[in-house]
Amino acid sequence: MIEAILTAQTEDERTLEVIRAIFLALVLFGFAFYGAEHWIVGHYLKSWQSKVPFYVSLVGFVLTLGLFFTRAPVVRYPFLVWMAVAVLAGTLGAYYHLAWNAQSAEVGVWTVKGFAEAFKGTRPVLAALAHTHIGATGLVVAFGIRK
Amino acid sequence: MIPAIRQAQTPAGRALEMIRSVLLLLSLAGWLVYPVELVLLKHWLKTWHSKVPFVLSPPAAILTAWVLFLDRGTPWARRAFIVVMWAAILMGLAGAYFHLGWNFEGKVNWGFATTMKAAAGERPVLAPLAFVHLGVTGLLAIYRAR
Repeated sequence: MIEAILTAQTEDERTLEVIRAIFLALVLFGFAFYGAEHWIVGHYLKSWQSKVPFYVSLVGFVLTLGLFFTRAPVVRYPFLVWMAVAVLAGTLGAYYHLAWNAQSAEVGVWTVKGFAEAFKGTRPVLAALAHTHIGATGLVVAFGIRK
Repeated sequence: MIPAIRQAQTPAGRALEMIRSVLLLLSLAGWLVYPVELVLLKHWLKTWHSKVPFVLSPPAAILTAWVLFLDRGTPWARRAFIVVMWAAILMGLAGAYFHLGWNFEGKVNWGFATTMKAAAGERPVLAPLAFVHLGVTGLLAIYRAR
């Protein structure tokens, strides 16, 4: 990214690379912050599902950092794959949060009332979509990159 | 933004407009979904602070949709969009601060251990930063957009 900003030839290219770099920095920050927050709120439990966000954040952080320094396929392709993993992990996380809230409240999610009740439960449903958001951001930013 | 994709002349220009449009679309989704979540979580309380996200979200959503689908060149629309995005950033930061502060439940102590305990408290501290993300995304999307 950094090299791309320095070697950009036109204003459009420069603007493109600056925007890519800043969004990628947001993704990097997101992976670092979310991993730390999961630790603070004690999200690392016995269930394997609860550990997923940590590994998604850790690998995501390393790959995103790598993309700042090189766009070689050995970094770019794993990065794209991992951003798709982050999108999936976030979506599944939101589903699990909703489902377990519904189980605790003994409601079904397929009625408006049940869904609203489950949504308000102890596990924040939309919070998991933060992983989806940064994964989608990473995908959009890096998708058209050529070396 | 979307009309600009069709008007782009070069691959870099096209990539730039695609990134702007897609990220602004994600942003628009956020402006529509977050207030609904706040309603479900009963965030509209007696305090004026709790109402700020509801007040800011409609103009933010309207202006984001305007810039995304219609026109990003009209000076008043551009200026209003930029102002609202900065307001979103400030609102998110203030929200994170308030959530953290109120999690101390009166016994404010900025020591590391007590702050970490407050960060894990009842009010989610990072959640308001979602609005910071929306604001930053909006500003980046319109950065140098002619």
